[in-house]
Amino acid sequence: MKNSIIKTVGALGLASAFFLLSSFVKEPEVSYKCMIQMMNYTGEKAYVVVSLINPDGAYEKTLYVQGDDKEWFPDLKNWWEFSDGTKENVDAISGATIGNGERNIISLGFNAAHIDAGYKVRFESAVENQEYYAVDAEIPLNSATIKEKVDGKGYIRYIRMVPNR
Amino acid sequence: MIVSVWRYSHLLFAIISSIFLLIASITGVILAVEPISNKIEPYSVSGADELSLAETLENLNAKYEEILAISRDRNGFISVTAIVDGKNEAFYVNPFTGERLGALLQKKPLFQFATNLHRSLFLKSTGRFLIGLASFLLILITISGIVLIAKRQGGYRQFFAPVVRENFSQYNHVVYARFSLIPLLVLAITGVYLSLLRFDVIPDTQVALQVDFDSIQEEPFKEYTEFDLFKTTPLSELRELEYPFSEFVEDYYIIRLKNKEVYLNQVTGDVLAEEKYPTVQVMSSWATVLHTGEGSILWSIVLGLGSLAIPFLTVTGFIVYFKRPKTKIKNTYNKNEGTYVVLVGTEGGTTLQFAQEFHKQLLSIGKKSHLALMNQYTHFKKMEHLIVITATYGQGEAPASAEKFVHLVKKHPQKQAFNFSVVGFGSTAYPNFCQFAYETHEVLETSNNSTALQEVFTVNDQSFEAFNNWCATWSKKVGLNILLEKPKLATNSLPPSTFEVINKAEIPEDDTFLLSLKNLNDSKPISGDLLSVIPEEGARERLYSIGKLNAETLLISIRRHEQGLCSNYLHQLGQNEKLTATVVDNRNFHFPKNAKKTIFIATGTGIGPFLGMIEENSHKKEIHMYWGARTTNSFNLYKNYIDKALQDGKLTNFKNAYSRNQPEKIYVQHLIKQDKELFVEVLKKKGCIMICGSIAMQKEVLQELQQLCNEHLGKDLSHYQNRKQIKMDCY
Repeated sequence: MKNSIIKTVGALGLASAFFLLSSFVKEPEVSYKCMIQMMNYTGEKAYVVVSLINPDGAYEKTLYVQGDDKEWFPDLKNWWEFSDGTKENVDAISGATIGNGERNIISLGFNAAHIDAGYKVRFESAVENQEYYAVDAEIPLNSATIKEKVDGKGYIRYIRMVPNR
Repeated sequence: MIVSVWRYSHLLFAIISSIFLLIASITGVILAVEPISNKIEPYSVSGADELSLAETLENLNAKYEEILAISRDRNGFISVTAIVDGKNEAFYVNPFTGERLGALLQKKPLFQFATNLHRSLFLKSTGRFLIGLASFLLILITISGIVLIAKRQGGYRQFFAPVVRENFSQYNHVVYARFSLIPLLVLAITGVYLSLLRFDVIPDTQVALQVDFDSIQEEPFKEYTEFDLFKTTPLSELRELEYPFSEFVEDYYIIRLKNKEVYLNQVTGDVLAEEKYPTVQVMSSWATVLHTGEGSILWSIVLGLGSLAIPFLTVTGFIVYFKRPKTKIKNTYNKNEGTYVVLVGTEGGTTLQFAQEFHKQLLSIGKKSHLALMNQYTHFKKMEHLIVITATYGQGEAPASAEKFVHLVKKHPQKQAFNFSVVGFGSTAYPNFCQFAYETHEVLETSNNSTALQEVFTVNDQSFEAFNNWCATWSKKVGLNILLEKPKLATNSLPPSTFEVINKAEIPEDDTFLLSLKNLNDSKPISGDLLSVIPEEGARERLYSIGKLNAETLLISIRRHEQGLCSNYLHQLGQNEKLTATVVDNRNFHFPKNAKKTIFIATGTGIGPFLGMIEENSHKKEIHMYWGARTTNSFNLYKNYIDKALQDGKLTNFKNAYSRNQPEKIYVQHLIKQDKELFVEVLKKKGCIMICGSIAMQKEVLQELQQLCNEHLGKDLSHYQNRKQIKMDCY
């Protein structure tokens, strides 16, 4: 009984030590080029946030924010709930808002361990005084299917991703 | 009440929109700084605009591994979006070397805040609507303002003629409005346009190019540097160039130029689709540039100043409105009971105050007086005396409350005999001084049963003195005794002060004397200001021009009238006796600080204020003095002062005209003719002519000057009057 406790504690200790260490070891990065093509909707420019969703369906990390005025960030309700409480530096990963019919090409970086591990990339969108789409488009982080074009349900017409050169 | 439709709507729109316009203008001023501060950033590379797209792409591709887009903003700065180390980066580059020049301009928090407030007052759609509406009202305010200025100036051709100065707010409201008219109109119209665009009233049509994917060719392969479009398009034409998303032939270059959008096959360089921007989009782009000033420092400054004019115009506009006397006409006797009918023609309401005072005094001595506007002329069944008191508007037109008068006089001939007299209110600074009063006189003269009691009497610059003189002669003729009280106009009088008489010089046979007064209080008059003396309780005030000899000593020059209450009161004051009087600011008759040459023209006691001004001429500026009197003897009173001033160089020249020294009468106006070169030169070179003395002399002198202007200067005298080159204080 005691043994098993020691073993468990030891294993947990090791695991946590490994976990701690692992944050210092640089994981291999995989980078994809991603195109967000907007619909011809009417109204103001859209705010789009790209997040990494873990296998449990929860927000893991903000990958990119398309929007240049923080005043409107709370309009992206679900993400704001997550991001407002984290210490993510959104400034480092944000870009200009784009209007209807326009497209935006960005580069998204992933941890190699997240590929083919049940993670998803979620695009949620909002436009001032208009509807909010909690999941406008979503792409499984799956090396086999990631290059397929995915249609959006809201302000996004479609998303395309290709591995970076 | 007596405001015209234009003035009323101008005011109404201003009231409705003032708060929003103030917010929009103040934030607008802040926002005008943004394009300027952006434009002066050091990201411009000289000669970049002449580079071809092919060269630009080649230079940049050599430097960066993967570029997503190249764009050129309105400031002419070139930026790229590229993937560097797996991350998006956007920055300004030198298109020759690809060198990174700096990060993209971020909107500063102040500008972000100002933009949001400016566009939507932080009220989202509601706010945007309100601001759009305020912009629309601004268009209406501007248009009604243009009409009002044209009316005031006497027609659109005189639109930019000098403005007559009545007071600070009125003058500057008109002057600044004219300057800011164009930027304001542009801001308002583009503002409305952008609002309409925002609310989809104007469709925001987009270019939607269709690519026929079935016909996309994969050969012949060409280097992108050989693509015709890239070779022939200079960088100055570019708005944005997006690289193909992937290397598949289905992905193409998207090129947005100033006037069109083109899709280009990335392998063969063929044009896959091309479309010119629709007019609406071009207009929208222009509206944005015109409204924001983006990319142009000069236009931004113009817009900023235009914006700044809004708070100024709002404030001065409201001051003009609230300062305008608001008097309501109340009548004890209706139009069929009044034996005295007083009619008023007024635009702003000042003239009404004078008429009202006259009407009140008629009533107080028990006369049945009826007061009405000139537009209310009709059959007055018991009218025996008609008194018309009218202003003139613009270039001799009828004021708003008298527009129908001429027509009405013809339409309603009176059945009983009546006499009439006309008093014109105006300013000699207008070319057609009191013209409408003369027209009124004429039309009444030709009407049935009418007798003119006297000629048209004119009152310059709301002079109560002059109005009172008219009233005296009129009541004498009619056989009444009327004492007018001065209406409470906005005068700048200080509280009464006490003065001590320190000297009295006199020439008894000429009935003139000089009083030197010591100021015992600390009121600080300037030569040209007026001393208001009320000899006994209930008596009317008399005004004397002050000459200031030094910090302590004031000089007033007085003509003694046999029955003059005030002049006799002053005359009997002995040495060291005290006098209580009020100093009245007379800003329009101060010595001009900036004029290099000045001419003084005076008759008799009118020399008083000039003696002070000469004494204060310590910089020894050129002053020429012309003085008229009856005989050489009259001069003895002032001789010492003048001789000393000539000796000290404070006075350049003194010329006199004694009317009774020789058989033919010589007056000051004759001297003007003699020395016309000097007068012409002074007017030309922004010098000043100051006139003090009798009204009769002023009239003659002005006539003489008018002739000089016509013959030698090609401009109307009013031009110089407006520029304050002619200052008068006559009585």
